[in-house]
Amino acid sequence: MAGELTLRVITPDRIVVDEPVESVQIPALDGSMGILPRHAPMVAALQVGVLRYRGKSGEKVLFVSEGFAEVRDNLLRVVCEAGETAGEIDEKRAREAEQRARERLSRKGEAATAAETFDQLRAEAALRRALMRLKVLEYGSRDRVRS
Amino acid sequence: MEMVSTTKLRRFQDRAVASRPYANEIAQLLGHMAGVMGDRLGERPLFRPGRGKQTAVLVVTSERGLCGAYNSNMFRVVETWLASNPGKKPVFFVYGKKGFQYLSKRGFEIERFFVDPPLEKLDYRGAKFVASALREAFLSGRFDEVLVFYTAFESVARFVPTKVTLLPVGADASKPGGKQSSGDVILEPDVETLLEKLVPRYLETRVYNALLESLTSEYASRRMSMKNATDAATDMQGVLKKQYNRKRQETITKELLDIVGGAEAVR
Repeated sequence: MAGELTLRVITPDRIVVDEPVESVQIPALDGSMGILPRHAPMVAALQVGVLRYRGKSGEKVLFVSEGFAEVRDNLLRVVCEAGETAGEIDEKRAREAEQRARERLSRKGEAATAAETFDQLRAEAALRRALMRLKVLEYGSRDRVRS
Repeated sequence: MEMVSTTKLRRFQDRAVASRPYANEIAQLLGHMAGVMGDRLGERPLFRPGRGKQTAVLVVTSERGLCGAYNSNMFRVVETWLASNPGKKPVFFVYGKKGFQYLSKRGFEIERFFVDPPLEKLDYRGAKFVASALREAFLSGRFDEVLVFYTAFESVARFVPTKVTLLPVGADASKPGGKQSSGDVILEPDVETLLEKLVPRYLETRVYNALLESLTSEYASRRMSMKNATDAATDMQGVLKKQYNRKRQETITKELLDIVGGAEAVR
């Protein structure tokens, strides 16, 4: 028996996902990482990105913000501040956020002061969040067509 | 009013419950990482007492009144702490207008008064903001520790003003603990990075929890005082109604007597 892997995505507001899955792909800090049943115990830091998992009802995608993943005893716990399914993402808002971040980044050529650097970093983070949200949307709609 | 408080109370209670798994996970992970770090943990700035002489104190109170002894209980605990630590120079961070009024009237140094987001609209990002303000204050080296005074919510009828030490991490009994590292665990990318990211999250969850519990307590307290007010008003209404009826009956009897007396005299 291979045993089943359970994915549980936990945010401060609620538990987003709690179901048995076949495989999960998490956006680890050093790059995407695949988790299968009977994975060795692990703790990994996550970056803002797309989490994909294959469950009973096909493949699904989720937007996750910075957080952590812990695997132990066939239970993968993803602890992050935000976890959103494709249906929950506000496309208009994400697009606007993308635009804003891009504008801010293009305005500042070279960051001279510390505050400007900080600003730039924040804009970059915002841009990444927006892009990842859009990506989830894109995957989500594609999956819907396929299934 | 009682109904309003009850619904709000339920809403905040639900949120407090919903935030628990997340907080537990983070605390557990931190305990785990602390186990891996071992003695090296004490060298990290957030884990050892600060160099400063002052103490940063976050006090969580309500935005509005009419909530019974909720705020005064809190102030009493703060005063007790101040009296037992005369040497400390507290610098206050305040959430809630009532606390700000109280402390500023008594001439305490208030470093920061959080108004945005208003407590009632509190979300995780608000807690994040407060936590990072406290963390930065601690790292600036002005303070030896960061305390949080909040009202712990034990049941709908019991809420206790509580003092906890937020920073340095692990200074009080509610230290991140649980199970220590259980043998070999793959760490991705490494302990330092994980810890670096975990500690802020941990502080956020504790602040979030403190704020949420205070908020829940506030509404529990408000509900109780509103219930008392309603009960008292109902009682008073009963008494007054009885008085009124008696008076009315008296007048009627008097008038009847007059009429009967008059008729009697005419005959």
